[in-house]
Amino acid sequence: MKITKKAKREAKQLYRFCLPNGLLDENRARQVVERVVARDERDCLPILTHFLRLLKLDRAQHTAIVESATLLPADLQKIVQGELAHRYGLGLTMAFAQRPELIGGMRIQVGCDVYDGSVRAGLEALQRSF
Amino acid sequence: MADLLNEIKAQIAGAKVTAAKQNVGVIREVGDGVAKIEGLSDAMLNEMIDLGNGVTGLALNLDETEVGVVILGDYTQLKEGGEARTTGKLLQVPVGKGLLGRVVNLLGEPIDGQGPIKSDKTYPVEKTAPGIIRRRSVSQPVQTGIMPIDAMIPIGRGQRELIIGDRGTGKTTICIDTIISQARLNKAAELAGDKDYRLLYCIYVAIGQKQSTIARVISVLEQAGAMPYTIVVASPASDSAANQYLVPFAGAAMGEWFMDNGMDALIVYDDLSKQAVAYRQVSLLLKRPSGREAYPGDVFYLHSRLLERAARVGEKYGNGSLTALPVIETQSGDVSAYIPTNVISITDGQIFLETDLFHQGVRPAINVGISVSRVGSAAQLKAVKQVAGQLKGDLAQFRELAAFAQFGSDLDEKTQAQIDRGKRIMEIFKQKQYNPIPVEIQVVVIWAAQNGYLDHVPVERVKEFQNKLTEYFTTRKGQLLAKIGREKELSDALKAELKASAEEFKQTWK
Repeated sequence: MKITKKAKREAKQLYRFCLPNGLLDENRARQVVERVVARDERDCLPILTHFLRLLKLDRAQHTAIVESATLLPADLQKIVQGELAHRYGLGLTMAFAQRPELIGGMRIQVGCDVYDGSVRAGLEALQRSF
Repeated sequence: MADLLNEIKAQIAGAKVTAAKQNVGVIREVGDGVAKIEGLSDAMLNEMIDLGNGVTGLALNLDETEVGVVILGDYTQLKEGGEARTTGKLLQVPVGKGLLGRVVNLLGEPIDGQGPIKSDKTYPVEKTAPGIIRRRSVSQPVQTGIMPIDAMIPIGRGQRELIIGDRGTGKTTICIDTIISQARLNKAAELAGDKDYRLLYCIYVAIGQKQSTIARVISVLEQAGAMPYTIVVASPASDSAANQYLVPFAGAAMGEWFMDNGMDALIVYDDLSKQAVAYRQVSLLLKRPSGREAYPGDVFYLHSRLLERAARVGEKYGNGSLTALPVIETQSGDVSAYIPTNVISITDGQIFLETDLFHQGVRPAINVGISVSRVGSAAQLKAVKQVAGQLKGDLAQFRELAAFAQFGSDLDEKTQAQIDRGKRIMEIFKQKQYNPIPVEIQVVVIWAAQNGYLDHVPVERVKEFQNKLTEYFTTRKGQLLAKIGREKELSDALKAELKASAEEFKQTWK
């Protein structure tokens, strides 16, 4: 399916409408989708496809994925959450995950930003330096 | 031992482990040498992007949600969904004298199988051209060794002289001859221990050429002993369009190093038409809006920012120079096409080669009527200027009269004499390829032609006369030639000596 420039522009306008305070209003997003579907126009599908992509990117931008070799204890999770909220502001969804292949340390990803303090990343950097 | 352990323990205790922030993205689309990457919010324009699997890309399009990257390497290894990360580095190439005598690719990696490049310094491929304050006017000559060029279209160090013509008219040959001439002059100056002579290093950038053609050029340079003063930067036709579009910039960076370090360099871009085509391909794949002949709007800027990097800088700023010889291939002699007009307007003159002249046996097939050097005359040797000052005008008159004489009308003596002189001058300007003529010989030959020593020689024997005259002066009048080269000007005494020698030669000529 080809998403035209016009469809992209309209999807972006709708997406902006869903950010009343700079944060995504999920109810508004749902309403937008319902209204566009109800309009039943020819280009509603490309608009919604692009709208969905923008929502996905927004979600990724506001989700912090914290990975560690073993699941972090609750107190450490709280500290990490506090630090991230301090750095990225409110509206950040936290997701803690266990990844044994990291060997040790922690890897945090918020949108495009990655803080990799895992043992595996260190070893990879060492390998590259050789 | 205990001390050592304590020291290590202290170092471990003091060590801080920090996790550096990285900016990553996900490959959304990959193909045809370009990739679209979602994320990479901190990417800079022209930044190198690590695409994984040892493949690097260059960020060329920064959109709101994605980055358009041209891939410099094998893109077949990349997959959709793969991770890409910014490197914080701009595309850089190694620079320095360690590259002389080598054949390298866009990234400055050797492709001649002679081991790694000895260089500890790198320059960014994209660099701003020297500004007005840093520049100084062109006043030193580049001796191409090609008589019509040195006599009538002189090139100065720091100049940008376009070589333009159809395919197969000898554009590359002119460039190769110039490189060979520089190597000979450099070698002669080194052997003579002449510290006043500024060595001119050469960079030959091959863009989109057949590998066999590049191999032939290298072999010619090797045979002429020019490789020790030359760097060959190659992006053959089998390279990706991104490589072909970037390789002239890599060559320019290598040349700039010489300029910044008080040395002189000459760079040949062979050719910029192919670079423009490669850039058009990259731009279309990146979905940039296209303009005339489907070239992107910034194709003029592509060439202007490249050629503006050729300059002669002031003493405060290194006192070096970078001379550029861009090559443009025309279609059926059409100089009014988009890319030729762009490059003509950017450069400081052009040498126009014509197919008709080439087929008539006039080689190099330079059309002196429309070839011009806008700044080179200030750099021309005074001796050459003295003997060749009137040459361009005389030849223009000759062409006009020759065209008139085609109607078969009777001509007066003066007109006939002018036509005869013109024919002889055209003959002496014919030159074998890869055989640059030293400037002293050029002065002698043109002086002889201007002073009527060729007038009694039949046109078909002019070349023979020239060769014998050259041989006579090289073998018997070496001191006179050396004096011309040293004084760089024809004084009355030198003229008298020249006349005596020419008369002496005339006696022997049969």
